[in-house]
Amino acid sequence: MATRKSVRVADRTAQLLITVGGLGTIASLLLVFAFLVGKVYPLFSGSSLSQPQEIDLSAATQPVTPDTKAPASKTPTPEPLHFATDEYLNLGWIAYRDGTLRTVRLDSGETLSRVSLIPDGRELTAWSFGPRGEIGLGFVDGDIQLGKISFATAFLQASSDDDAAAGSGDTRVLQLDEVPAELTGLRIGDVARYRDGMVEKTPEGQLRLQELSVEMDAPVTVASGVPIRLIDRSVPKQGADSLAATEEVLALLTDEGLLRVATVRKVYNMLLDQTTTKLSARTLQLELDMQTQQPDRLLLSGLGDNVYLAWNDGRLQRFDARKGVDVLLAEEVNLVDGGRVLTSLGFLVGKTSLVAGDSDGGVTVWFRTKPEDATTIDGAVLSRAHHLQSGSSPVRSLAASPVVRTVAAGFEDGSIRLYHVTSEQLLAQSTTADQQVPRLLTISPKNDVILGLSHAGLSRWAIDAPHPEVTLSAIFLPVWYEGYEKPEHVWQSSSGDDAFEPKYGLWSLVFGSIKATIYSMLFGAPLALLAAIYTSEFLNPRTKARIKPTIEIMASLPSVVLGFLAALVIAPYVEDIVPQTLSVLATAPFALLAAAFLWQLLPMSLGIRCDWLRLPLMALAFVVGIWLATIVGPFVESWLFAGDIKAWLDGQTGTATGGWMLLLLPLSALLVATVFSLFVTPVQRNMANSRVQFVLLDIAKFAVGSVATVAVAWLISSLISGLGFDLRGTLVDTYVQRNSLVVGFMMGFAIIPIIYTISDDALTSVPESLRAASLGAGATKWQTAVRVIIPTGMSGLFSAVMIGLGRAVGETMIVLMAAGNTPVLDMNIFNGFRTLAANIAVELPEAVENSTHFRMLYLAALTLFALTFVLNTVAEVIRLRFRKRAFQL
Amino acid sequence: MISNTEQPQSSTTATAVAQSGDAKLNRLEMITRGEHVDAVIHAELAKCASVLDVNDVSLWYGDKQALFDINMIIPDGHVTALIGPSGCGKSTLLRCVNRMNDLIDNVRLGGDMRLNGDSIFSPHIDVIALRKRMGMVFQKPNPFPMSIFENVVYPLRIDGERDRNVLEEVCERALRGAALWNEVKDRLHESGLGLSGGQQQRLCIARAIASDPEVLLLDEPCSALDPIATGKIEDLIDELRGDYSILIVTHNMQQASRVSDFTAFMYLGHLIEYGPTVSLFTNPKLKETEDYVMGRFG
Repeated sequence: MATRKSVRVADRTAQLLITVGGLGTIASLLLVFAFLVGKVYPLFSGSSLSQPQEIDLSAATQPVTPDTKAPASKTPTPEPLHFATDEYLNLGWIAYRDGTLRTVRLDSGETLSRVSLIPDGRELTAWSFGPRGEIGLGFVDGDIQLGKISFATAFLQASSDDDAAAGSGDTRVLQLDEVPAELTGLRIGDVARYRDGMVEKTPEGQLRLQELSVEMDAPVTVASGVPIRLIDRSVPKQGADSLAATEEVLALLTDEGLLRVATVRKVYNMLLDQTTTKLSARTLQLELDMQTQQPDRLLLSGLGDNVYLAWNDGRLQRFDARKGVDVLLAEEVNLVDGGRVLTSLGFLVGKTSLVAGDSDGGVTVWFRTKPEDATTIDGAVLSRAHHLQSGSSPVRSLAASPVVRTVAAGFEDGSIRLYHVTSEQLLAQSTTADQQVPRLLTISPKNDVILGLSHAGLSRWAIDAPHPEVTLSAIFLPVWYEGYEKPEHVWQSSSGDDAFEPKYGLWSLVFGSIKATIYSMLFGAPLALLAAIYTSEFLNPRTKARIKPTIEIMASLPSVVLGFLAALVIAPYVEDIVPQTLSVLATAPFALLAAAFLWQLLPMSLGIRCDWLRLPLMALAFVVGIWLATIVGPFVESWLFAGDIKAWLDGQTGTATGGWMLLLLPLSALLVATVFSLFVTPVQRNMANSRVQFVLLDIAKFAVGSVATVAVAWLISSLISGLGFDLRGTLVDTYVQRNSLVVGFMMGFAIIPIIYTISDDALTSVPESLRAASLGAGATKWQTAVRVIIPTGMSGLFSAVMIGLGRAVGETMIVLMAAGNTPVLDMNIFNGFRTLAANIAVELPEAVENSTHFRMLYLAALTLFALTFVLNTVAEVIRLRFRKRAFQL
Repeated sequence: MISNTEQPQSSTTATAVAQSGDAKLNRLEMITRGEHVDAVIHAELAKCASVLDVNDVSLWYGDKQALFDINMIIPDGHVTALIGPSGCGKSTLLRCVNRMNDLIDNVRLGGDMRLNGDSIFSPHIDVIALRKRMGMVFQKPNPFPMSIFENVVYPLRIDGERDRNVLEEVCERALRGAALWNEVKDRLHESGLGLSGGQQQRLCIARAIASDPEVLLLDEPCSALDPIATGKIEDLIDELRGDYSILIVTHNMQQASRVSDFTAFMYLGHLIEYGPTVSLFTNPKLKETEDYVMGRFG
């Protein structure tokens, strides 16, 4: 008989639907994976520098009206001291050794103006140029002059225009009677010269004027008649948070070897409409011959608390210049390896870490760290934290990015390299045209361009380094961040401070996920597995038919509710009853065992008849166990933890014995039970004549065993503690309210139903024939379970645990709410953690799209995806093997 | 040893009731209608030493009665077969012997069995200790997923026997007893699941006899095996005869006739006829038995 058509159609349709569904599932999984990889890929796609764009600075200067005696333009150019540019890269200024300040257009190299910084033509002997345009000049006659060179921005506007929009905030509006024709004709993005500045038409259609603004204070005499040799300033950021703002500090070295560290105060005199500079100085006379040993460089840290003097042979002296103490030599280090010459020295952004370049092309970065064993007067030590990949010729110039931890280095052979300091990554390299030596390098304020000044002119490279700090090793291995004593895993993605460096040590989050998983599995897995063994092997099917669905309903509890309970109810509650909570772990099993032994006292026929009472009585015994814990808790606290468990955990009081003892109690119980079953039970069998006698002996054995357990645990822990091992600082440490214990409890609740259901199914699916064979051979239910059922269903149990593990790794809400979210790397059960999943939930809303932070969160997601994928795959493979084995039976 | 040479016609019927009931009314129809029928038990059995006495055993699954007042003795050192159509209660009866029915919910028992004089059904009895005195082999070979060695010594392991010498000795004895030794002696520590179906079943028999049981219960041991393996098991049962008292349930009447000394015919929970195998198969007292063994129904 032919198959009916409707049957064939139904068969075909079903086949099609199943195929589409199956392939669709795989496709959507791959799509998620591809999406994540696509978001993460740019992190690792590398950085580059554009080909240099050369700007000829020797172009004929426009006849500018020099308001002072400018040097003749045809004389050989004096040595340039500093070069800076505005954030729009329209104009820049160069300061020369003779005191000239020259402003140039960056597109054509045309000189816009040329002024002298030194009005009265004194000889310049010392100079410093800060990252925000603050300058300090020292003269041969012992005077200094402070000032600031900045770029003033103004918007050009014809006065006939509606001036309602004028003057909002800091922007200046320049009212003109008539906007010159050559400016009105500008298209968006075009620039044109106006007066001594540059005008650009902004995308909003405004005309933005950038001009150089030079403010020089009146000279101050600090060392009458003695030339100033070196000078540096540290100026607190304008408009910075008043709490963070510090006073301006100035450091200088005179020709006589006198180091002065001065606090600068500016006093405005209303009568004279004049600002006078007042210095309150601390001095230190250096013990050196200024003729032969004159330091070559002086640097003052950003907070003005450290003065560095460096010699070209690499010697560096650090002086403690903290406010309120005498300036003293703190330490001396050698910045370069033997034989090399220190050719360049500067600060990283934030002005705390030093970058040194040497004559062999080496570039090193030095952090000021505060190790506990420091012997210096201020407890700080300079350490070489990062060694950047060496160039092939001497370093001639260094420039730190004003925004991130990147450094550009220019070498004698005309090459330039861009490094990221923290990841020690060489981001990109290039060379100047004609191998000109880049004498000065600068990275633009927006970190998008490197400018190099050489004899021939300016070279300009565009930086393409969107994620310079990211390398695989920087993510998963310890990284030495500024302000840390050693390489560490740190996740710290944002802060209020501009000089802050985001730290993307993903490992600490992976660690958090692992820690959460371990502690919740430690709590959940044994409970779930034992429950599965109990219901599948011991409980009668009718009771099981009620209990199993009840446990499965637990899985439908929203994890946000569990997290809420954990954070707001359990965590504060447990905090008050830590000793009791710990005691439950011992008293609950004790109560259950004691109840079991007492049950044996019942005559056998009564016991068989009252079998249905077992489960309720077990529940009762458990409650009694908890009640016992509330009784025992205070004693435990006073006996084991010197009366205050939190102080004990802090390591303030008591010995390690108590903690070890609590930890070793289960082990000791196992030990005692083994010894008893080997040596005492045979004797007991011989002694007992009747069942009652046997049971009584059993109870006596249990009592002795309990005492022995405590005694053995005490002995072992005293021994361990006596040997000097303390578990505080590793497994347990200072108590934090939101901790792994609480999360373990709660996450246990989330994973118990899954593990329980799967392992119960695995055990129940062990063929009944095996159970019958074992029972038929005279095995007890327990022997059957342990010797036959569990080994046979082991792979099923394993896959249940793996799936529970996958759930625990990916769990978000419980850990988000109850784990405290501190990305710390310790296994302390009483401390919190931050998991990958919780981190994504917390930070994704505040991450700027396509920023490094944003992509790092996607990388966290990818890591999580990989983690759960691997776990589930392993579980699946094992389950398949288990099924194969089950079919064999 | 029971003599099977005795003439069937000279054997006397066991009870008077059976004689009077030997009327026109078919016993099987009476049972179907729910009436009580007494069993016909051949006199030869009365002469035998018994290992197991079955006294008025009834069994209910919930409200449904599955065994009705079974009375029989299982002779010591002989092979006794239980035959009957499906659902006649022969496996149920077998499982009563080692209380395996306890594992099923809602089972009630009536009457008693005595193993060498010790009650089996008493609520005071230690079922675990009781089961240790018997060995059981099931329809499907069910070796544990362990090595051959561990399979055989399992009954000793659960008794806490740790002495390697004792275990090895018992293993060899049981495997020789189960006629498996020569086939597996070189791979004792390989998985028992790697054996063929017939070998697995012999392994199960070895496991069952490892603890020297007082009675060996075989629940259709060949139903999952091919004819060659079946032949081997039957040869084995033949060899075990005398050393062990064996109670075997079988669907296969040829098998019953080949291996057993005594045969009991059961129908719908009732024992119909019980006697020496030869007389039951060649000269049954009841027409119903004859019909069944001749394959006229079943």
